[in-house]
Amino acid sequence: MAGRVLLRAALTLLIALWTAFAAGPLTWVAMISLRSTSEFLAAPYALPESWRFDKYATAWTASGYDTYFANSLIVVGTSVTIVTIVGAMAAHCLARYRFPGNRAVYFLIFSTIVLPPQITIIALFQTLAAIGLYDSRTGLVLVYAAVQLPLTVYILESFFARIPADLFDAARIDGYSEWAAFWKVAFPVAMPAIATVVILNTILLWNEFLYAVVLIADDARRTLPLGIQKFMGDQLEDYGMIATGLMIAIIPVVLVYAFFSEKLIQGMTAGAVK
Amino acid sequence: MAAVTLKGLGKRYDHGAAPAVQDVSFDVADGEFFVLLGPSGCGKSTTLRMIAGLESITEGELAIGGRRMNEVPARDRDIAMVFQSYALYPHMSVYDNMAFGLRRRSLPKTEIDRRVQEAAGILGLGPYLARRPHALSGGQRQRVAVGRAIVRHPEVFLFDEPLSNLDAALRASTRQELARLHRRLGATMIYVTHDQVEAMTMAQRICIMDHGRVAQIGAPLEVYRRPATTFVAGFLGSPPMNLLPAVAAAGALRIGATMLPGSFAVPDGPLTLGIRPEDLEPAAQGALRGEVVAVEPLGAETIVALRLPAIERDLLLRAGRNATVALGESLAVNAPAAAVHLFDAAGQRIARPLEGN
Repeated sequence: MAGRVLLRAALTLLIALWTAFAAGPLTWVAMISLRSTSEFLAAPYALPESWRFDKYATAWTASGYDTYFANSLIVVGTSVTIVTIVGAMAAHCLARYRFPGNRAVYFLIFSTIVLPPQITIIALFQTLAAIGLYDSRTGLVLVYAAVQLPLTVYILESFFARIPADLFDAARIDGYSEWAAFWKVAFPVAMPAIATVVILNTILLWNEFLYAVVLIADDARRTLPLGIQKFMGDQLEDYGMIATGLMIAIIPVVLVYAFFSEKLIQGMTAGAVK
Repeated sequence: MAAVTLKGLGKRYDHGAAPAVQDVSFDVADGEFFVLLGPSGCGKSTTLRMIAGLESITEGELAIGGRRMNEVPARDRDIAMVFQSYALYPHMSVYDNMAFGLRRRSLPKTEIDRRVQEAAGILGLGPYLARRPHALSGGQRQRVAVGRAIVRHPEVFLFDEPLSNLDAALRASTRQELARLHRRLGATMIYVTHDQVEAMTMAQRICIMDHGRVAQIGAPLEVYRRPATTFVAGFLGSPPMNLLPAVAAAGALRIGATMLPGSFAVPDGPLTLGIRPEDLEPAAQGALRGEVVAVEPLGAETIVALRLPAIERDLLLRAGRNATVALGESLAVNAPAAAVHLFDAAGQRIARPLEGN
């Protein structure tokens, strides 16, 4: 009995330490986001003297965060929609149909996962410039969708492969075409996995910086991570505003995660098709 | 309702490889309960899937209701199928599972509802219509799978081992329910199983398959009483028929060194002698004598295995429930000539004058 109490205490302590370690920086940034830069420079770790919630309003209106936020929403929303639908279709095909070169295609798609973005970014920049999509949200959306496709196909393929073939045979006998069976059977049955890739891709792309900084130039088309960068000057850095911008960027991700985390875990551990 | 006709149906997956199904021909009459029976890998499921339109037909012809179906897609064949795994859509309620196929056929909502309620009534699924499949027991899922077929009012029902995922007690009661359902609907049903009890109890006719070919087609008892090949003889019956190597010479049969009493009008030469365990009669002066090597008291009867020293084979016999047989004991049995089945070297039944053919 005493042993179990001790074990629980140790575990609780461990979890508390881990939480502090993970949440500490976040809390710190949250504090800074409510303080002015001069206040921060005077005492970096102090609590806010007065809670400056008005900084959020200032960032939103005066510093252009409304534009960045809208851009992020459009770019991430569109690319996640595209990558989910295209990825699900590709995964369904690769998992369900036997055709020559099936594994070759799968391997080709998946092998691009090992390439770091730095390798392709210059070529991408030139390609997009050549076809007139440089410095456009459309170009960024296409790049985002393409970059996230391999991981998406990889996660979904393994899930689709576990859907029993009998379900599709039943749908065929029930009178549905392959196309309809995909939308009415495969897609909804794969919902836990779909939710997983939607959340993963949303979080990854929401925070994406490298492609955005190379492929977007105009301030009106910047996404949130670029907007935050704007406050990092050469001489002077507006730490207070950077923190406020970071919080504006982080809050939606936290909300999405909080809302979908149960589905995310379901998808990660899913096997329960039957 | 419709008759189903197979003419020389065959399935070959790759050129060169042995065909999975070869030259399968039979007619299933309108309203008949027809069972495809055989061990796993004998081609019975492939045959059913070809009838369903889930596998392409590479040889022969399939007709349903007199219409050639080889090129007709599954959805236009007017068949319904119950899968071994049930294949219920996990994301839909029981109601939607049953209504799914009807919605595709754009029936009016009221008609869909009427049919689903009717099927739910027949199968006792009323209280579960709103549930998802994962919240049902195995037996209930099986009923939903049957219900999904019933609501369609198809010409032909196809069953692919629908009971093999149920426990023994449930299997026995569901067997009777399916037979009742067949009488009630009067529909043509083709049923695949590897379980001879299901085949014997439900079928009007059985088609036994072996290595992708038809071994025998006939009414259950006819197939049991007059198996066409040694395969059928050894497959049907539990325990199966005893098959012993024998030699015919001048109308007499010899097993090892033992001459069997009675005369047999068969050509001279080696053949296979078959006798059902229930046809062997223990007798003090019986022709076949051996040592008891196994005794299995089952309550209603006792299965005894005799080792015949001359041919090193075990002979199974059904002894009465009160039989007192001890291991190691020496026992003799008679094989009445009338109960003996004879098969030639190729395993084909040799017709005997007694049988009239």
